[in-house]
Order: sequence, then C-alpha cells, then structure tokens
Amino acid sequence: MANPLYAHIAAVLSVMAAAYAAARWRKLGVELCMLAAAVAGGLAGAVVQTPPIGELARHLVEGTFTYLDVMLVFVTATIFITIVTESGGVDFIVRAIVRAFHRQHLVALLLLMILILIPGALTGAGSVSVLTVGAPSALAMGHLGLSKRRTAAILFIVAGLSAAAPPVNIWAMVICAGTAIPYVGFTYALGIPVLLLGTFTILTLGWRRDHRVSRDEALRAMPQPPPGMNWWRVLLPFGAFFGTVAASRLWPFATPVMGLPLQFTLAAIVALLCSPRRINALALSRDTVRRLVPLLATMAIVGSLQQIMTVTGVRGAISYAVIAMPLALLYVLLVVLLPISEGLLTYGAAAIIGIPLVWYLDSIGLHATIVIAGLSLLWPLGDGLPPTALIGRLTVMVSGYEGSYWSFLKETWLPWLAITAAGIGMIVYSAKLSALVAWGL
Amino acid sequence: MSRSGPVKGLLVAVVASVAAVAGAQFHQHRHQRLPIVAGPAVARVASLSEYGEGLARTMADTKVFFLQGAEPGGSALIMAGTHANEIDALLSALIFVENAVVEKGTLIVIPQLNHSASVYTRPGDGCPLFYGIETPWGTKVFRFGDRGASPLDQWPDPDVYVHYPDAQLLSFLDARNTNRSWPGRPDGLLTERVTAAVMRLLAEERVDIALDLHGAETMFPVTNCIVAPERSMRIATMASMTVTAMEGFENHVEPSPKGFRGLSHREIGDHSDTAPFLLEAPFPFLDQPTGPKTRDLLMTGRDPFLLSLAGQQKLFVPYDESGWPIEKRVGQHCSVALEIINQFSRKRADRAIRISEVPRYADLVRNGVGFYFHDPSKADPARVHLD
Ligand SMILES: [Zn+2]
Repeated sequence: MANPLYAHIAAVLSVMAAAYAAARWRKLGVELCMLAAAVAGGLAGAVVQTPPIGELARHLVEGTFTYLDVMLVFVTATIFITIVTESGGVDFIVRAIVRAFHRQHLVALLLLMILILIPGALTGAGSVSVLTVGAPSALAMGHLGLSKRRTAAILFIVAGLSAAAPPVNIWAMVICAGTAIPYVGFTYALGIPVLLLGTFTILTLGWRRDHRVSRDEALRAMPQPPPGMNWWRVLLPFGAFFGTVAASRLWPFATPVMGLPLQFTLAAIVALLCSPRRINALALSRDTVRRLVPLLATMAIVGSLQQIMTVTGVRGAISYAVIAMPLALLYVLLVVLLPISEGLLTYGAAAIIGIPLVWYLDSIGLHATIVIAGLSLLWPLGDGLPPTALIGRLTVMVSGYEGSYWSFLKETWLPWLAITAAGIGMIVYSAKLSALVAWGL
Repeated sequence: MSRSGPVKGLLVAVVASVAAVAGAQFHQHRHQRLPIVAGPAVARVASLSEYGEGLARTMADTKVFFLQGAEPGGSALIMAGTHANEIDALLSALIFVENAVVEKGTLIVIPQLNHSASVYTRPGDGCPLFYGIETPWGTKVFRFGDRGASPLDQWPDPDVYVHYPDAQLLSFLDARNTNRSWPGRPDGLLTERVTAAVMRLLAEERVDIALDLHGAETMFPVTNCIVAPERSMRIATMASMTVTAMEGFENHVEPSPKGFRGLSHREIGDHSDTAPFLLEAPFPFLDQPTGPKTRDLLMTGRDPFLLSLAGQQKLFVPYDESGWPIEKRVGQHCSVALEIINQFSRKRADRAIRISEVPRYADLVRNGVGFYFHDPSKADPARVHLD
C-alpha cells in the first residue's frame, strides 16, 4: 500500500493548508488565502509533475472559468433586484405585509419567508436573496419585534433554504450533470422540505417578540415607498422574468435559449421602466458590481482551487475517503462533512463529494433523486462556515447585527439541527420517499 | 499610495503574463488539427455539413469517412467522439479508418462526432490539453476534449434543457452533450444540428447499423457492455456472447431504458430504420476518486485509490494492479464493433458488410495501439485529412 502517490498528495495538501494559514495570518481576505493555497499547491504538485510546471498557468486560469455562468447570474440577478429595491418596490411589499399582518406577526414572518425564498429559488444562490430582499426584510422583522440577532439567524437559514429550493438548485444540477441522472422530479422532493423547514425556522426563531412596536409606529419608522408606486409596478418586472421562464417551458422549441443572465437583464430593464423614481442604471450597476466583487472573486478562485486540487490528486483523495467509509459512519460524518466542504469549496463540493457519493448510494439501492435532494439541504448550512462563509457574512452585513459572528451562528442551532435531521433522514429513507419524485413528474 | 503603485503594477504584470501563457495554450488547443491518414478502403471524405447546412463553417462540422467495398452490400456507421474526453472511442475509430479493407458493403466512420467538444476541456476538472500515443515512427499527438461542446460554440446554456421532441427536462449541462440531443433539429442548438445531420446521413446512405463508442467510469453501473434497444437486442446478445466466449474479456448487454430521452441507442432506434448500439468500455480516468489526472493514468488506467475500492467491491468492473490499459480498452471496442457487424451480416446476407485488416483485442494487446497508426509525413498528402 506504500504507493508514493499517497505521500505526494499528503505533501501537496499540507503545503496548501500552510499557505492558506500563512495568508490568513497576514490578515488577507478569504479570496487571497484561497489563491495562495491554489498557487502553492500547484507549485508543490509540479515537483512531481502533477501538473507539469509548463501547464500550471493554464490550470490556474482555466479553473477561474468554472463558475463563470454562475457569476453572471449573480451579477444580473442582483442588479435586477437592486433596481426593484431602489424603485421602492421592496419597501412597498414589506409595508403591505406589516400593515396587513402586524397583529399576527407570525403570518407576517411567514410571508417574509416566502419573499426571501423567491430570489434564491430562481437563481440557485442564497446570496442573491440576502443581497436583494434581505435588508428590507430584516427591517420589517425588527418592526415586528425581533432582535437583530434572531433576524439575522432567520435570514441566514431561509436564504440557505432558498438556494436549495426548486426550480434552480445548483448543487443538484452539478450532481445530475456529473452522474447522468436527469434533473427532473425535484419540485416536490425539494419544495416540500424547504417549505416545512422554513416554517419551522419562523416558528422557533420568530415565536417570541423581543420588543413591542405599535403598527403605526412601525409604519412611520419604515421607509416610504415613492408616490405612484402600486402593485402593477412591483409585479410587472417579476412577471417579465417569469414570463421568459414560462415561455421556455410552454413553447420550448419556439423560444430561443436566452440564459438566466439575459432573462434577468430583461427583467431589470422592465423594472427600470416601471420605477416611479428616476434611477441611474449605470451608477447602480457600478455600485452593485463593486459590492459583489468579494463574492465574485471567491467564485473565481474557488474554481482555480478546485482545478489545482484535481490536478494534484487532492480532490480524488477526498472523494476516495468519502466513498471508502463504512455506511453508518458516513451518515454520521455527512452531518459535518457537507457543511464544512461547502465552507471550503462552495459549489465545488457537490462535484468532488456529491457525484461519487450519489453513484455509490444509488448502487446500494437508495433513490438517487431523493438522496441528491437530501444532500442539497445540508450544503447551504456550510455557507455560514469559514473560510468562505458567503451567506453568513452577507447576512450579518445587511441585517446590521453588531455582535460577534459566532453569537449570530449559535442563534441558528435549532433550525440547523432540524435541517440536518431532515437531510440525513431523506438520504437514509430515500427509497421510501420516492413518491415525492413521482408526484413531481 | 506611492508604495502601492509599483506593487499593483507588478501584480497586474504577473496576472497578465499568466493569462497570456494560458491563452496561448488554449488557442493552440482550439486550432491544432489531427492528421488522419485515409486507409486503403477510404473512397470519399465528406463533411458532416453536407447533411446539415446548419453546421457549415462552425466548429461542430466534422469529417465523415466512407470506406467502400468492391462488392455492394449493407452499410454500417461507427461514431466516436460523442464524448471527446472518452479517448478510446476516437482511437478505435481511427484504427478502422487507417487500416480497414472493406470487401463488401460500406463502412462510414465519424471519428469526432462532437467536434466542438474536442477543442475544449472542462474548467475545474484539471485535464491535460493533449496526449501522445507512441507509434513505431514517433509520438502521435491528440487533443483531449470534453463531454460537452465548447461554450465558445454554443452559449448560453438554458436554465433547464428541454429535449426535442419529447420535452423531457434535463440538466442545463446536457444541452451541450450530443448524447442527449438525438434525434436533433436542423435549426436547433448546435448539438441538435449535429445529431440531426447524422439522422439525415443514416436515411440517405441507408445505414443498417450505427455504433456509438464510449468509455465509462469503473464506478458507473453501465460498463463493459453493449447498450441496445429492442430492435438491436438479438445482434447485441450474439455479439456479446461471442466475444466473451472467444476473446477472453467481459461483456454483457444492457437494455436501452425507454424513459431516458436523447440518447443515441434510444432515439436512433425510435426515429429511423437503423439499429443502434452503444459500446461502453471501462475508462478509469473519468472516475472521481483517482489520483492526479495524468497522461499515465490516461494510458494505463492504473490507480491505487481505485485498486483499494475494488478490494471493497465498490467498482462495477474487475480491477487489479494492471489497471485498465489503453490496448485492452481499444481492443474491446474493435472486437465488439467487428463482432456486431459480423453478426448483423450473418443475419442479413443481402445487406452484409465484410471487413478485414482491422486488429482485434488480442492483436492490440500484443502490438499496442500506436502500431496501427500511419505516419502522415510519409503518406501521400492527398490521403492525409486534417480533422
Ligand atoms: Zn460517453
């Protein structure tokens, strides 16, 4: 068993970890830490020709393209929702919810949950939910009597669920594409758990009010939507987006393939035309992209890191470790392994661990679609874990919570546990849950 | 400010030079062509765009080799490069083009079906851009490709790919996969235009049987097999039994699933008179739990992680220290393809296709793959085709 390959891979992995730690010690951002790990890992690998040194530059550059399409969706979707926000549309919706349901604050919270679920469900990115409807929703939750810490906790968990929600679940799509399993039958297999878990989150974190604010006081404190704002102006941009999605489903062979970035751009133009306020689209786009740069940099570098891990054999070794594990131990370890892998690699985790895992679990008689759905419930939790902590960081930013990051994360423990139990349960009992897929078809 | 200026300048210069080096390599990969020496039977070399105008002047246009027999008979098509990262398919197809002597009937070969996929490697997967096969006259260099067409040629991807004509929903990545785009549309996506052109070729050239060559992960349940729909089942079963009994490698038949659309073994059977067969040989390079994706792994299929998983019964093919070398993989494809053609010819004497001078499994294991490739620099330039 003393294959020299094992020593090489272990050496590369240690060099990567050391480079990451060193960059972290110099207080560099997460993106730069990962870049340091990628470059150092590549150089260490080149010592034994994996990769040959002449190809290192190509691997680093090629990797940055891994998530190019996802990055374009991030940018265009965020610009779209930012225009809706700037036009006063989100304020309008949030006010309507608070006005109608101030007494029944749980109903108001449940409606806010639906609002937060929508952008992530459409784009597959919880960060889009946070960046777009996150701030006004957090404001409304405050006026409904919730503390900033619990507001941030709800926002984080529901945004994570939104990424897993159908129709677009990027983890599931990556696994389906890699395993030749059709990306169908997820509507209920994901939709039902997401709605149940979201409701559970609202009930547990939102039940108790930390302070009481009267309805009029709350409405007075909330930003006024501009005069002339009405339901038509709010809903038409969303209608434009859903219209293009619906057209591609209803007349798939007559509708040209637009791609999500163009669909969001179209919706953004409609939102611009519907806005009662004049919006400087260029300045808004510039500011949005500037705000997204850390996120985009993370995505680009994660791709690079993933490619270096593959070409040095680290990725294969991780994948091997998961598959070689005894089944009972695997179920237990998935509880921590999936979130941590997401924190390290974001969507790359689905390819590295997810694809071989699904093949293996499928081969022992589990239902692949339900397994994928279960796995993809657990990954978003990792978006709160370092080093990337993508959604966690954004949540703290938009909700204005000023306590320590860990105190915010601790607040999420109950829904975290429920989501974990649901995800693992779906994997273990997937064969019995196959009806969820049948309905979806 | 004064100190960060030069640092920023330096960083920009470093990034620019790294990008320039990478860019030059990508450019070479996209534009380097593979010389193919037309063998004795090649009577005509066409472009696939002759069967689908929508392919003309695109990266998806590809060469079609017609190997003509002296005697009239039936007609068979061999397709490789459906997935341009499954290299054994292309190597096997080239062995047919460069060596086959056709006595009766017609053999048509498309070595790089998804040509656009052969000029692209997938980001994140860390594959080599090129690989070499040793031959008696030196190293023959091939492009490594991908499972899907290059996004430079077909982009953007839809949010969900809707298969034509059944409207089955498939992953967006499969929009660029020519083994999900059958039977295709002449005015559809590039990948649909490729398969639509082949469907027209099947009809116009009266093709009796079509073979689609692939490679599969050792952890993938469908491997070492022929995938066949009802129409092809008898021939597939006979061919599989014959090679297993006579040539000493494993092979079995898998029925083509009815509910899974867009695959060659499904749609060709449902939309034409041709009987389709899809050949899978084990290809450990594609497995996730392997060491680095090196040229050595590509050639030998030897990997300690897979060996360990084999010990835990987690692979779907037999696997030992010898790995799964390229001679065996290509040998299996050549033998199974020849045997399918043979079994068809026995069943349909009026449409028989007789081929000789193509090595079988034992020949390839003995001589290696490179032995069967001809030196393009020594060949008649008129017989050398760049694909
Ligand atoms: Zn294939």
